[in-house]
Amino acid sequence: MRRINSLYGRIGLLKRVSEKSTKQSHTFLASLTFSTEGSYGGDGEFQQSSSKVKIFDRDLKRIHRDRAAWLSRQKNDTFVDAVAENLIDRLEDCKKSFPTAFCLGGSLGAVKRLIRGRGGIEKLIMMDSSYDMIKSCRDAQEDSLDNSIETSYLVGDEEFLPIKESSVDLIISSLGLHWTNDLPGSMIQCKLALKPDGLFLAAILGGETLKELRIACTLAHMEREGGISPRLSPLAQVRDAGNLLTRAGFSLPGVDVDEYVVKYKSALDLIEHLRAMGETNALLQRNKILNRETALATAAIYDSMFSTEDGSVPATFQVIYMTGWREHSSHPQAKRRGSATVSFTDLQKQFGGQS
Amino acid sequence: MVRLSRVLLKDAGSVIDKTLSDILVCPLSKQPLRVCEKTKSLVSDTIDVSFPIKDGIPCLVPKDGKILEEEGDASKA
Repeated sequence: MRRINSLYGRIGLLKRVSEKSTKQSHTFLASLTFSTEGSYGGDGEFQQSSSKVKIFDRDLKRIHRDRAAWLSRQKNDTFVDAVAENLIDRLEDCKKSFPTAFCLGGSLGAVKRLIRGRGGIEKLIMMDSSYDMIKSCRDAQEDSLDNSIETSYLVGDEEFLPIKESSVDLIISSLGLHWTNDLPGSMIQCKLALKPDGLFLAAILGGETLKELRIACTLAHMEREGGISPRLSPLAQVRDAGNLLTRAGFSLPGVDVDEYVVKYKSALDLIEHLRAMGETNALLQRNKILNRETALATAAIYDSMFSTEDGSVPATFQVIYMTGWREHSSHPQAKRRGSATVSFTDLQKQFGGQS
Repeated sequence: MVRLSRVLLKDAGSVIDKTLSDILVCPLSKQPLRVCEKTKSLVSDTIDVSFPIKDGIPCLVPKDGKILEEEGDASKA
């Protein structure tokens, strides 16, 4: 069985096919713009993903998520539940109901468990890059008694969404998209998969996450090994989140930030928790060897620098919530330049010159 | 020449969910997929790749796809 390492090379065949069927070429052009290479929104050429910058090792991330599926089987994670709850709560703020919903990676089980009929969701499609994670979600569903939502399961990559255009009403991604190499491209594909007036809800980890761990790791490394290697992945800043949404073409974008401080008995418990969430290091540039001395030094520095009076250590998780809608005629639009009917002087006269 | 039964994706209720069959497309080319009942896989004709279906769950990660050797015939390499 030939493994595909250069499956992406197959995409070069697409250009050949478009000559054969002209009536399909329009769809080709529309779908070719979902990559961020080339031009956004225009009819740029589709570039192969191998020429883009790869920060994360996606195969390793799948293995991490397989392991996380097994580790988090027994108990519910309060942090992940809190994030999912916050995300799903936003559905209550919308008058619209979303019959078909699509859940992308991250903490799938928590999202499914906490929906509880909000948002009028009837069909839920769950997708993750790890087969074990999907299996454990499906087994959990069979055990539970709540079968009111029709759920389907699918294994896929967030960077290559296998969803037809304009086919789902709602896309939720709770802590899943910060491991994609090409986040703008992913978001563009999400936008295309949404029906007009469809909602995109995502929660990703922000730049302040685990800053204590970052400091402790850097110090320990410099002391023991004299250099540093990247231990924490580059995370989005809040100002970038807004740009991402507008760049993907969402209308009415909204971003807000929440910081959660989780307390652990020791720094090593933090690492266990990260493993159970599948959030351990998957940078391509990572140092694959971790010295035992360095690890213990990191834990010691963490304890000494950041521990609180009762001996527990805190860890900050900054979560950025992003919302965006696919454009629809009912959304308020900015008026055309030069179409003003009232001037500022008139407004000043109207409301008095007391200011 | 023996041709496999070309079941359209929307009639493939037996292999995968009806909901999924309505919305799934190939992750790379975004073109419709064809179900191959014999090998229990979804085939993308435009780029000649087949994606496996494990236990009713389609695996549409690009790395999991198998490149098909001949046209119109899916064989395990």
